[in-house]
Amino acid sequence: MAKSTRPMIRIHNQETDEVIDREMNDAEFAQYQADQEAQSISKAEAIAKETAKAAILDRIGLTADELKTILG
Amino acid sequence: MATTTNYSWTTPDDTGLVKDGASAIRTLGTAIDTTTKNLNPSTTLGDIEYRSSSANTNTRLGIGTTGQVLTVSGGVPAWTTASSGGMTLLSTTTLSGSSTSITSISGSYTNLLILINDAYASGSSITVNTRFNTDTGNNYSSGGYFLEDNTNYPFNDNPTNQITVMQTTSSTTALNKSSVAINVYNYTSTGNKFVNATSTTKLAAGSRQTILSAGHYGGASAISSIQFTLASGTWSGGTVLVYGVK
Repeated sequence: MAKSTRPMIRIHNQETDEVIDREMNDAEFAQYQADQEAQSISKAEAIAKETAKAAILDRIGLTADELKTILG
Repeated sequence: MATTTNYSWTTPDDTGLVKDGASAIRTLGTAIDTTTKNLNPSTTLGDIEYRSSSANTNTRLGIGTTGQVLTVSGGVPAWTTASSGGMTLLSTTTLSGSSTSITSISGSYTNLLILINDAYASGSSITVNTRFNTDTGNNYSSGGYFLEDNTNYPFNDNPTNQITVMQTTSSTTALNKSSVAINVYNYTSTGNKFVNATSTTKLAAGSRQTILSAGHYGGASAISSIQFTLASGTWSGGTVLVYGVK
């Protein structure tokens, strides 16, 4: 049996109760990759934001917990 | 001949002859018997009667079956099967692969309640997103909070082509697994469908995480399929229960 190269998906038809397990087709795989790319961009943005925040805290000599206490 | 006030049974006149008494009594008895039977047509245990369109004539209604309730149909009483309010379990699906879809969802309900129970995946902190009708357009608007170790991480309108409902754990410990309850209101509407979700999971790092999210799905069609996709990795276990709610 050939090794699966694409992610598998499960489709459960509620009307017939039929369950199909298959590899993603071209369109599904393209969307899956696009979603992954979008998520990695938003993750990178979040990390950049956290890094900038940490740099500011470092500059003013406060920890994140101390800032939380001040902002209470 | 004289008659009675209510049922018009024929009775002998005051001046009637005694010799005609036997016949008069038989006539009266027959009339009483006929009227009584018309008023009480029961034949079987559990029968009830109601007034028909004819005066002094009732209609027999046989007993219904177990669980039926008395209702009105066409202006007269009738036994009917009680409509099942509350929730009806429509399907049970084991999570598998990178994405699990439930399709051909019945449109006979008002709302949907979707429960994912005891889910875990090949990795921890993997985002789980939901799409309806395999719609990948920017037809979603949602926001919410990740609550993790007493810290809130808000997210707003991101992404717009799906709705984030939970993150996974990779833990197989029962109490650590991920669960989410998703309500989809007026899912057969052609307008906005309101969606809210509450999830809980214990991430591999040991953090207890809750995601509260809410939003709209603006696709123009009634929802007939729901897809749960992992941002990466594969489902290792868990069950999707779809309930129709009247």
